[in-house]
Order: sequence, then structure tokens, then C-alpha cells
Amino acid sequence: MVTLRQIASMVILFLIGSSSLFLLGGKAERDAWMSVGVGVLAGFLVISLVTLQIQRLEPDRNLIEIFKLYFGRVIGFALGFIYVIYFCYKCIRNVREFADLSIMFLLSDTPLSVIMFIICLIGGYAVMGGPGVFFRMAEILLPFLLLIYALIYILLIATGTIDLGRLLPMLEKGFKPVWDAAIPEIISFPFGEMVLFLMFWRYIDRGSFSQVMKVTLNSYLFAGAFITVMNVVIVASLGSLAGWSTVPLLQATTYVSIGDVFERFDPFVALLFFTAVYVKLTAYYLGASLALAYLFRISLRIAAIPVGIGIFFGSFWFKSYMHQVNIGFEQNIKYHFPIFQMYIPVLLLIVMLLRSGVRSRSKHQSQPSSEDSNHAK
Amino acid sequence: MPNDKNATSSGKTSSSSGQAKQAEQVLLPDLDMNIERLHRFLGGGEDIVCRTLQHRSFDNTRYALMYIDGIVDGGVISTMLLGLLDDANQYAEMREDTTLHRHLTERSIAIGKLSEIETVEQACYAMLEGCSILIVEGSLRAIAMDTTGGKTRAVEEPSSQTVIRGPKEGFTENLRTNTSLIRKIIKSPDLRFEYKMIGRQTRTNIAVVYLEGIAEAEVIKEVHRRLDAIDIDGVLESGYIEEFIQDRAFTPFPLLQNTERPDTASAALLEGQVVIMVSGTPFALVAPVTFVKFFQSSEDYYQRYDIATFLRIIRMTSFFISMLLPSLYIAITTFHQEMLPTSLLISLAAQREGIPFPALLEAFLMEITFEILREAGVRMPRIIGPAISIVGALVLGQAAVQAGIISAAMVIVVSFTAIASFVIPAVNMGIAARLIRFILMILAGTFGLFGIMSGLMILLAHLCGLRSFGKPYMMPFAPFVASNLKDVLVRVPWWAMRKRPVKIANDNNAIREGAGQKPSPDQEGA
Repeated sequence: MVTLRQIASMVILFLIGSSSLFLLGGKAERDAWMSVGVGVLAGFLVISLVTLQIQRLEPDRNLIEIFKLYFGRVIGFALGFIYVIYFCYKCIRNVREFADLSIMFLLSDTPLSVIMFIICLIGGYAVMGGPGVFFRMAEILLPFLLLIYALIYILLIATGTIDLGRLLPMLEKGFKPVWDAAIPEIISFPFGEMVLFLMFWRYIDRGSFSQVMKVTLNSYLFAGAFITVMNVVIVASLGSLAGWSTVPLLQATTYVSIGDVFERFDPFVALLFFTAVYVKLTAYYLGASLALAYLFRISLRIAAIPVGIGIFFGSFWFKSYMHQVNIGFEQNIKYHFPIFQMYIPVLLLIVMLLRSGVRSRSKHQSQPSSEDSNHAK
Repeated sequence: MPNDKNATSSGKTSSSSGQAKQAEQVLLPDLDMNIERLHRFLGGGEDIVCRTLQHRSFDNTRYALMYIDGIVDGGVISTMLLGLLDDANQYAEMREDTTLHRHLTERSIAIGKLSEIETVEQACYAMLEGCSILIVEGSLRAIAMDTTGGKTRAVEEPSSQTVIRGPKEGFTENLRTNTSLIRKIIKSPDLRFEYKMIGRQTRTNIAVVYLEGIAEAEVIKEVHRRLDAIDIDGVLESGYIEEFIQDRAFTPFPLLQNTERPDTASAALLEGQVVIMVSGTPFALVAPVTFVKFFQSSEDYYQRYDIATFLRIIRMTSFFISMLLPSLYIAITTFHQEMLPTSLLISLAAQREGIPFPALLEAFLMEITFEILREAGVRMPRIIGPAISIVGALVLGQAAVQAGIISAAMVIVVSFTAIASFVIPAVNMGIAARLIRFILMILAGTFGLFGIMSGLMILLAHLCGLRSFGKPYMMPFAPFVASNLKDVLVRVPWWAMRKRPVKIANDNNAIREGAGQKPSPDQEGA
């Protein structure tokens, strides 16, 4: 089973995930970090008031089981299936980011399809192990990642790349651009993505659910603070260039040079990002596979195969990295993702609260543990 | 090794398999008949000794002594025979209220361990274990005497796990010697030895050793369950057992530790692990284990803690060097040259000038060469050892560089990798690193750093999924167990090591030493 510490590691890694690749809230320019701050707080409300509340009412069921329980077989199945698609789509985006950046920074001559295939393979291997294995991986990876990030920041400070003066003047155009950049974009990406954890929370080996809430929210806030600091570092190192760079933090590290010996870290930094993106895409892959497994009552290992194939071929849909980024930032995070991250969960929560009286009576009859044997690891 | 439990267990099987068969096998009052049947059961053979005795003081009752020559202790037998003859007079006084069989068992035989035998089968198996059998005419039972002996190797310094400071005793091939070595270290009444016999033909004795109350009951039960499930014709080494009882079959990583050091085995017992000893091999198995255990040497606990900590970090680093260095070299020189400082890049490029192979092939050639050299070093007769080092070092190393087949940098990389792989104290973990090295080299040669990272991710997922007797292999990192970190990368001083490893030993009995033992300078004397 999953320990509290593992879920905390996973929340942090998941949120850092691909957000380190972009300048979040770029529209607010040098006030971007404030947008991120606003986004963190708004996301905090969404998670604590909606996502975690859903799980609190049904601590032993995952999202798919909750859908089936509260919306009946047909609508529950349909909603569950939509979420499988949503998780797959998010995974596809991450696979594509991973692959495109690999080609950009590491392997210019390798075909995209080969890289995507390998990514799907390494993701699939972890998924086949089940949530227990994947969460343990996160627990091991997190300290390394944080350490390397800390090292990068220290190098950036030591070499004088960071100039906090680039953040001034603050709020030049008032608070409106900051707010506009944050809502709903930054809630949708990355903070609202916590909806995925509705698939994972039930695996936690816990005393009471309030512990889970506390750990989740604490690690959420840590990740939020981390991303805000990262944003400050990016803007303070690159200034107005930040908005134009493909991968701003990577750009910033190219300014680092120690004693003319260590000059080019970017392949290593790229690997660091990829580790984080890998965790994120595998989390989605696992979420989608678990959801599919519960929908069709098959084992996780079998469910991971069609999901993996779907993700692999789905990744060809984007024409280029910029196409993928644009669709994501122009359309998805404004119109599509909020549906899955907020509207449906809110609807679900309302239904749950309304029916909670009815449910509490029949709860004793249905046994949530019947499906555990398939997935428990 | 005589073993009553086994004798009785085989007796049980025969008694359950029907009356008719049992009647065929039980010993008869007719001595000659019994001897003949025993001979037939064992298929004759020159080494089966049968001595029929008869003398007046025993009422001329005939009795026979049977044993297999070579696996018994001849001295013990002749002393016993002398004792029997001396004893004849006593028997004369007491013959009214006893039988000869009873008299022998209770008074005459000068051997510590006796057992009663009822069937031919039991008698034969007891003889095969090294017992001598005494059959008295007219008695329905025979006496099995523990006269186990024969040639065994003396206790010597372990050859595979050497230390600079620490005990120099090693296990031998004799199970009894090995159990005694443990008994001599841990003189606790809680020390348990549970014996089993595995192997249809070899009937190899196996001892499951643990400390009652310190080892976890679940683990002990699981060890027994897995051992009992083994059905094989022969067990010649603990490796046979290991492959049957490990948690996952397909993994390059060892899921059980092996040791030929009694002190290592005792330390494992004290930490709540279970030791499985197999007769016929000096290597005992230790379970459950975690990944980090393979980087610990018993010497870590005998040297000062700061030195031990330093050595452990060196070993961990060596493991990663041994696994990754050639692949990193391949990846960087093939795909990511821009990462190197310019001067180094120029120097490398100059060396590679005229080398006909790509870096991957070059590395493969050298690595395979080295693996062959190493294997040759292990297998060849000791006398021609120096020849290999000359051929290896001069011909294959220097000459290959001078001939322009291999670059000098590659020789450095491969040699350093090889030396690093010898640092890992557990040979089986070193082999795992060697195997993984080749896979990572291929990945590095085809996909550069991306390939290495993909390989490492799979490796991590694999490691996180492994278990040893139900205990997560990556403990105490995942799941994180803070208390166990005191003895992983860092070895804290002994006075700070208050708890046994949590979640491996029995957690209800975790405290292993008193509190507040940190030495402090004598305030008044100062």
C-alpha cells in the first residue's frame, strides 16, 4: 500500500512535473510569480473544498467507483470513460512534451515515433507494477530532484545570473493582468490537475482521512511555493526574455559557467525536467489504466496495454511542439480542462451531498473491497 | 549428520502407507535376515561394514554392528566396542530384570546420542547419515548410534568475504560445525535451529536459524512454508535453495544474501533476520534482505563509525560507477560532446582519431575482453595465474592502444569500471551491476543520455517492485523508514544504534541496547 509520505512525494513531483518547462502566468510578464501565487491559492480552494471533499465522503472508493455508485451504471460508466479519455489526453500531452524536448535538446536525429515508443514503454513498465511500485519510485526520486533544483538555484545565484531587480517595478499595470493570467489558466495547469488523485487516494495506508487531507494540502502548498520560487528565478534570470524562451529555466542555466570547466549543464538539466515529466505522464497513464480497469473490471496489467497503445498513437496527433503548446495554453486550459477539474467534480460533490443520506443506509451492503484483489500491490 | 527427526519422519511415512508394506519393512527377530535385508536395501558395496558379535557374558546372544565406512568416526566405534566388552560382567548381574537390547541402550553404549529404529528403511537412512546400527538377535528394534565422522575441512579464513579487522573464522561444508560456530557466538537460549531435509536423493540437511522473539514470526513461517514446498532430487549448494525461495524469479538482483562468515550470520540473527544453512556448503543464506544490505561489510561494524561511513559511500559510488561509467562515456562522446570542456574534447577527439570503431563497439570489445579475463582468472589453475595478468595487461591493454584499435581513454574507463565493480562486498550484487552495465551501454550507444535515463527509470521501477520475503527491497528509502537510516549510508556509533531495523525485526522487541551510553569525558577528573 501507499504511505502518507509517498503520497506527499507524489503530489509534489506531480505538480512540479511539466510546470518547470514553462513560464506560468507569462501574460503577467514580470508579475508572473504573483499570478502563480494567486493560482496556488485558488487551486488550494478547489482542492480543499471540492476534490478532497469528494474523497472524504467516500474514502475507500476511487473516482470511477464513486461515479458508478452515485450516477448509476450507465451515466457513471459514461462519466468514467470521459475521465479515461481526459487522463489519456493529459498523458499524451506529456509524452509529446517529453519526446519533443528530447529531440530538441538531446537526440536531434532520432525519429519522434521511436522516442515516444520508448517513453510509453518506460511509463508502461512502472504502471504494470501498480500504484505501490510507482509511488515508491516517487518517494526515491523526490529527494534527488529537490537536491538538483537546489543546486541549480545555488549556481544561478553564485554566478550572479539572478537579478531580483528584473522583477521591478511590481504591479506596473495594476492587479488585473495578474488575476487574468491566473484564473483560470494556472488553476487548470498545474494545480487543478490534482483531480487525478481521486484515483490514488484510496490506496493510502492511513489512520483517518483527515491525515490524508493534511498531508495532501501541505505538500500541495510546498509544491505551490516551489513553483512560485521557480517562477521568480526564471523571471529574475531572464527578464523579458523569459516569455519568449522555449524552456526558460533551461535557458537560464546556460548562463552558468564554473571555472571554464563546467559550462554546459543543459543535457543534465534536461534530464532533470524529463524525470519530473516522466513521473507526471506515468501518473496519468496509471490513472487512466486504473480507471479503465475499474470500468471494465479487468486487471490493471491488461488495462495498461490498450491505454499505452492509445497514448502512443494519440501522441502523433499534434503536428509540432508549438502546436501542442498552443492548443494546450490557448484552448485546453481555458475551456476544456476546467470541465474535468472543476465542473464535473462540483456536480459530483453536490450529488453526493444530496444523496449522502440515502447512501449511508445502503453503504453497509456494498463491499468496496471486492475489487481490491485485482489491483492491490 | 544423524537426525532423529528425519528418522521418525520417514518412519511416519512408512506407517501411513499400509499394513502390508510395513510388515515387509519392520525388523524381524531373525538377525541374519535383518542383515541381509539391510545389505539388499543399500545395494551391497564394499564400504558397508557388518560385524557380527557374540560372546558368552551376553548369554551367547548374537548381535551385529553395521555402518558405512568412511562417513563414521572409527575411533568412536572402537571405543564403543571396547566399552561393550568391558560391560559384560555387569550384565551378568542384572540379566534377571532386563533384556540385552535394553541393557545396551541404557547402560553399555558409550555414545551420547542414540535412537531406536524399527524398520529397515529407517536403519538404512540412519546409516547413510553416518550412524552405526546395532541389531540384537531376537529384538524387534535396532539401536542407531551417532558415530558421524569422516573427513571434513577445518575452519578456515573465509576466502570470499575478507576483512582486515574482525574474526577470521569461516563456515565449512559441515552443517554441525557451522551451527556450532553460531552457537559459540550467540549463547542465548532463544537461538533456534530448526532442521529440514530437502532433496530426494541427496537428503541434504538444512537448518533454519533465528532468534525467537527477535525475528518476525511471519517471516519464519514464510521461510518454512517455502522450504517445505521444495521438491528436487538434489541440493548441492545453497544456491539451489535460493532460486526456489526468492520472491521474484526474473531479476538480476539478489533477493537473498549469502555469507560464509559466522559473524555476519550472527549479526543478521541479532537484527531479526533468518539464516538458512545448508549442509555441504559454507555459504549460508540470509533473509529477508534489502538492497542496501549488499553494500555493508561486517567490517563496517568493527572499524570506527566515521571510517565505516566513508567506506560505505565509496562502495555506493563504486556501484554506480561500475554500472554507469562506460555508458556515460559512450553517451557523452557520441551524442553530447558539447558537455565536455573544450580542451578535454580535443584531447579525446585526438585519441579517437584513426580508431576504426564507434565508441559503443569499442566499449563492448573492451568490456567483453575484461569479462573473459576475469572469468579466466577465476577458473584457471592457480599456477598459471601470472600468465593471465601479463597477457591481459600488456597484450590486450597496451598493445590494443598502440595498434590503434582502442583509444587510451576507453582503456582507462573500462579498467576503472572493473576496479569499481570489485569494491562491492557482495559478489552477487556486483554481478547484477555488470549485467545491467551492458544493457545501459547499448541504450547509451543508441539513445544517448535519454537512453540511459530510460534504462535507469525501468531499473528504479524494477527495484521498487522487488520484495524479499515480503519486505520491500528498497526499504528504508521506499517506504521511507527514518529509524533504519542510521545504518544505511551512514553507520552511526554503536551507542546510538539503539533500535533493531524496524519492519525487518520483530517491532515489539526493537530496543537492543541501553540508553545514554555515549561516552562522556569524566568531568571531575578533567
